[in-house]
Amino acid sequence: MNKRVLVADDEAYILHVVSMKLKNAGFDVITAVDGEEALELCTSEQPDLLITDYQMPYMSGLELCKQLRSRDETRSIPAVMLTARGFDIEPAEMMEAGIAAVFAKPFSPREVLAAVCDLLNGQGVEGGERAASS
Amino acid sequence: MTTAKRLGLATVVLTTCGAGAAYYATMMAMKGYSVPSESLNYLVFALVAALTLLILMVFWRNVHRSVGKVRTQLETMAKTEQIALVMVDSGNELSQITRPLNELLSIVRRQTEQLRSECRELQIQSRIASAEKHHTEAIIFSISDAVIVTNRFDELILANEAAEKLLSFRLEASLRKNIDRTLSDGTLVRLIRETRSHGRSFTRKVVEHSIDQKGSPKTFSITLSCVVTPNEEVSGVVAVLHDVTREKEIARMKTDFVSNVSHELKTPLASIKAYVEMLIDGEAEDEKTRSEFYEIISAETDRLHRLIENILNISRIESGVVKVVREPCSLTAIAKQVLEVVAVQARAKNLTLNEQLAPVYYQVEGDRDMLYQSILNLVSNAIKYTPEGGTISVSVTADERRQVAVCDVSDTGAGIPPEDLPHVFDKFYRVQANKKLAKGTGLGLTLVKHIIETVHDGKLSVTSESGKGSTFSFELPILM
Repeated sequence: MNKRVLVADDEAYILHVVSMKLKNAGFDVITAVDGEEALELCTSEQPDLLITDYQMPYMSGLELCKQLRSRDETRSIPAVMLTARGFDIEPAEMMEAGIAAVFAKPFSPREVLAAVCDLLNGQGVEGGERAASS
Repeated sequence: MTTAKRLGLATVVLTTCGAGAAYYATMMAMKGYSVPSESLNYLVFALVAALTLLILMVFWRNVHRSVGKVRTQLETMAKTEQIALVMVDSGNELSQITRPLNELLSIVRRQTEQLRSECRELQIQSRIASAEKHHTEAIIFSISDAVIVTNRFDELILANEAAEKLLSFRLEASLRKNIDRTLSDGTLVRLIRETRSHGRSFTRKVVEHSIDQKGSPKTFSITLSCVVTPNEEVSGVVAVLHDVTREKEIARMKTDFVSNVSHELKTPLASIKAYVEMLIDGEAEDEKTRSEFYEIISAETDRLHRLIENILNISRIESGVVKVVREPCSLTAIAKQVLEVVAVQARAKNLTLNEQLAPVYYQVEGDRDMLYQSILNLVSNAIKYTPEGGTISVSVTADERRQVAVCDVSDTGAGIPPEDLPHVFDKFYRVQANKKLAKGTGLGLTLVKHIIETVHDGKLSVTSESGKGSTFSFELPILM
């Protein structure tokens, strides 16, 4: 069964291009356009990994990740963050939110895909084992 | 009766007696009587006594006259408060006294003159000092920053009106009182004390400190300097409080602006880079997908361009470097032009365009291109946020009583939630609920606001009901 990745971004073109890159690499992709929708989908769909934008309506990507860590059913979903804000997220905050990698916009879809593959092959994150076994 | 008078009387009596006796003796002798020798003796004695008294009287009168002269001179000196030399006839007995007296008087006169000149000098110096003090105070009072001066005992000795207002005290009531009893701000009191006690080790320090003013915190840059006497002792402290609240606010806004701009610029740039990389990597397999990618790259490039243009325009208006061409123009004519341009867009969304335009002869004074841009932005927004089948109304009316031309742009679109309404003109602000409906930079309305209010001194406002639609209105004075 293909690994499932949730991509959340309020920018349609970014959502489209990341989804396409992942699909072409053989992943199943589900999408969300804001933080709240992403949180719901994480709970109901249990994706193997989350790629989220930092700045989104209703709930920021950072808040979304923190929420995931506070719930048992979503705690182990690894997260990758895309951001146009530069690197103004505190490392401690990133750790707390369980963000495995951050890509600053403009990013390279190639590199994002590589990071996703690494993470889902059980390297570097706590959720790796669960993701690999599913 | 004075001694002189008594002496005079005695002389007269004795002379009369003497003369009487002499006359009596002479008469006796002439008549052939012998005058007894005893009587002659008396006669001679009387004559000698009278003579002595006469001489004494003359002498005494002389002395008396001289004393009188000296007295008059001294009295004149006392009356005129002028010290002069006492003059008596030479050879006079009194000259023995007047000589040392005159020496003494000369000394007194010299000393008085010296004192007088010293006094004059002191008066001049005091007047200069007072004028300088007044001058310094006037300078301090004219400074808009709050200035507080304390002495070595931490007592308030000078403060200006700005300081009185800021720290709520009255200078008159607080003079020479310790600052911990007069100044309401504990931190400031501590800073002044520290500066005074560490006086010699530093001359000046600048501290940033927040003070509540009428309930709102204001940030002050406090410059503390020691007043040092010529022999290097600290005689007090001068504290100058400069309000930097506005500067801080501007700095923060600048940082926010740069952060927002970079975010907004990076977003389309991210799309462009991602899609180009996809094309390079051959991820777009068919011609249709490739063509879709090219379209996206082109659209995002346009978006980037629009953003940069808007940012530049707003920045130019804000900094006042924009060139404004003011000429009489008609909002009706401009609105017609806009409606022609957007007709295709409106038709594509099946929107009805209503127009209700006042006669062209109502003119306003303004920059035609900028006003065109404003109406275009408002109408474009209306089209963007109105679902298919809706109606856009553009009206230009003339309110002759208020002498203004009013332009309304209404739609039957998504509307703006009440909590978003106060922010729709903010830079980069986008209504989250409507973000999915259309792309935008969050700068279009900011630009309109700037054009209408900053450049044209007009008024731009918005009313809206969520789900029902919005009306943007602006008004400009009519040229009569």
